[in-house]
Amino acid sequence: MTSVSTQPVHWDLRYDIHLGTTWSRFMDGLRDRRILANKCPECARVFVPPQAYCESCYVATDEWLELPPEGILEVYTVAWLGFRGGPTPPYAIGGIRLDGASTLLMHWLVGPDFSDPASIGSRLPFGSRVRAVWAAERTGQILDIAHFQPVAD
Amino acid sequence: MAYRAAVVGVGMTPATSPRKQEFSTAELCRQAVHAALAHCGADPRTLDAVVIGNIDGFEGTVLGGKSLTRQLGIGPDLPVVVLNTGGTTGGNLMQVAARMVRAGTHRRVLCVGGPTFFGAEDLQAAINTNSPMIIEQPLGMGAYHMGAFAASAYQARFGVDATDLAAVAVADHAKALKNPNAHLRYEVTVDDVLAARPLSSPLTQAMVCPVSTSAVAMIVGDPDEHDLATAPALIRAMGTSSDPYLGGGKGDFSQMQNLATLARRVYALADVRAPRREFDVVEVFAPYVHMQPMQLEALQLAEPGEGVALIRSGDRVLAVNPSGGPKCTNAGVAGELAPYAYAALQVMGDAPPELQVEGVRKALAHGTGGTFFQFENLAVFEALDSVSSGSTS
Repeated sequence: MTSVSTQPVHWDLRYDIHLGTTWSRFMDGLRDRRILANKCPECARVFVPPQAYCESCYVATDEWLELPPEGILEVYTVAWLGFRGGPTPPYAIGGIRLDGASTLLMHWLVGPDFSDPASIGSRLPFGSRVRAVWAAERTGQILDIAHFQPVAD
Repeated sequence: MAYRAAVVGVGMTPATSPRKQEFSTAELCRQAVHAALAHCGADPRTLDAVVIGNIDGFEGTVLGGKSLTRQLGIGPDLPVVVLNTGGTTGGNLMQVAARMVRAGTHRRVLCVGGPTFFGAEDLQAAINTNSPMIIEQPLGMGAYHMGAFAASAYQARFGVDATDLAAVAVADHAKALKNPNAHLRYEVTVDDVLAARPLSSPLTQAMVCPVSTSAVAMIVGDPDEHDLATAPALIRAMGTSSDPYLGGGKGDFSQMQNLATLARRVYALADVRAPRREFDVVEVFAPYVHMQPMQLEALQLAEPGEGVALIRSGDRVLAVNPSGGPKCTNAGVAGELAPYAYAALQVMGDAPPELQVEGVRKALAHGTGGTFFQFENLAVFEALDSVSSGSTS
């Protein structure tokens, strides 16, 4: 008989994350189908999601602007294996450079068939243009953008 | 007056899978600590502080650093510094201990890193809870999903194919096979790696690290005290650097700019001018195969896009991850302390005989962590007789 070496335990904790004024404004924008960004007055980089300070210049980033819901898909991965409580695989997550942004916005990509590992690169090449698809019901959260999809040529 | 700090003792336990591990965290840590004391012949009473890693929140089996220290069997009245920097905790232990010794407030400091997150039944679900909340966590990324972004971007930029990535895994396994303390001690072929279960493109199961259990301990002290049995590994220079918090804030996944910046800073402190020629051994923290070539490139040890070629070559001038690295053994805090432990052991001449590189004068140790590997840490070790006294940075 093998000895008893483990005992199962379970955690289920709920938290409220405090957004702060910068991310609150971003979330308010998403609810209104607007993608709000802000800009560093020193280096002129445009942050989306916005951030209160520029960590390169150590100054407040208080100039706001609205970005178009469209940009370049710079990189993505297709998740073949997920995890408990997560989305059902396969699903694709990309880093999208919205037109005018200096940072990447991470989000889901929907449209191409990602079921064949061998063909994903040809179905959606890096550098493709993608556009945000808004959720029908929006409550002020990142999934108010339902996902991004390729822009038809 | 400036004091110097050196690694004077190292202890580690063999690693195994969580399923096969019969010892608790406290038991493993105690074994590693006493191995480190035995390595250098130090009396526990000569220790004057403990720096212990403690990633709370990752799982229920983690003991508080302070209560764990009471169980190490090294006596009462030792001041305890508990360090918690998430995934980089193990890589920062020596950085803190060395600063304590250099400051002159402490003479001999023990670093302790135990295993972490080996109890999670679904580790990726646990890792997802520490990805950036609100913005990126809802997208459903665990550790290797986040890691896959750099793998994809690096592939696209430099024309690295799946066979190249697989070659890194093959090399790591061949090295780990020789390491008595490694977890995955078996050889794999390129075909094995390519045929393994797809996780998140382009990574397969055989391209990412296992969850291991082990403990690592290290003693940092004044190299100019001569009551110990070991040849100290001088900590010539060290540093840490951070990227923005959000994955998307990195801006470019195809190269490790943050590490390149840190390397320039640390090399300047250590007076390293030709890293490719000067280092005899490098131990980088590369739990996923694409990370190792990218790190070697950021560290100026290979040209951009040439990292895989260096790994494939089995270079005899520069030994890359002779321990087999975290791709084959990753025990959380212990796993992050391991590159420092192995690099220091190489300089001391006390690595396991199967791994010891002959005549090591200078070694580089690296750690990284954070959800998208935003945080980097680095240290340069030198054999004491190869540096003039007082030149430490």
